[in-house]
Amino acid sequence: MSGALLADAPGVLAALAQGASAVLLGLGLLFWFAGSWPLLGRASYLTKLHYLGISDTLGSALMLLGLLLRFQREWPLLVLALLSLVVWNTIFGYVLAACSQPRRRP
Amino acid sequence: MSRLIVIALRMLIWLLLSADPELLNVAIGLAVSLALPLPRRVRALSPGQFWRALGESVTALPQAYSQAARLLLHRRLEESVVHDEPARVGGRASSVLVFLDVFRITLTPFTIALGLEGGGRRYRVHELVFEEKER
Repeated sequence: MSGALLADAPGVLAALAQGASAVLLGLGLLFWFAGSWPLLGRASYLTKLHYLGISDTLGSALMLLGLLLRFQREWPLLVLALLSLVVWNTIFGYVLAACSQPRRRP
Repeated sequence: MSRLIVIALRMLIWLLLSADPELLNVAIGLAVSLALPLPRRVRALSPGQFWRALGESVTALPQAYSQAARLLLHRRLEESVVHDEPARVGGRASSVLVFLDVFRITLTPFTIALGLEGGGRRYRVHELVFEEKER
């Protein structure tokens, strides 16, 4: 029994990875919609940027992690995409926030 | 140290893009990352400072997810405030450190960095405050 289970370990792992990947993709989609919804409201520009950070950076990162579990052979490109996405989105959010501020006198 | 980080970053991007760990490919990548222009003047950066800032940026990731969950669950926004957060390295911090600090502050959904002020002594930070926020 345990021998059969051991022999099937790759299959079990693959199924687990597929399941986890689906969960991550779904969570990422949830973050996307939940973070984008407040953009339609009347909140201030900076408040909307906070929410946009959730959907744009964190949601997309979850989706890429899900893809990473699903297409493990493409890991170098997906890791590159993950790194650049997190860094670029975060710094772009900072640039947008900083540019919205009037220049203060020192 | 700053130049080493720039070169290491270029090598990382090259290796991930090419996905080919052969010696020739690594040599080409190293040659290209050394040949590309480097910043002419860099400010001193000790390895200890760098690793601490990098560690804080990485630990900010799980914090960001927990904050995101709280932000999405607790909708009662009380106010948004702008305050100053002192930079740990006063005065002339290395651009790598400033980058990592801005990344750490902006990554977490409750706070966004708005800029560096006072000659690099403090960050302006925009923060969301909630009624149920317990700290």
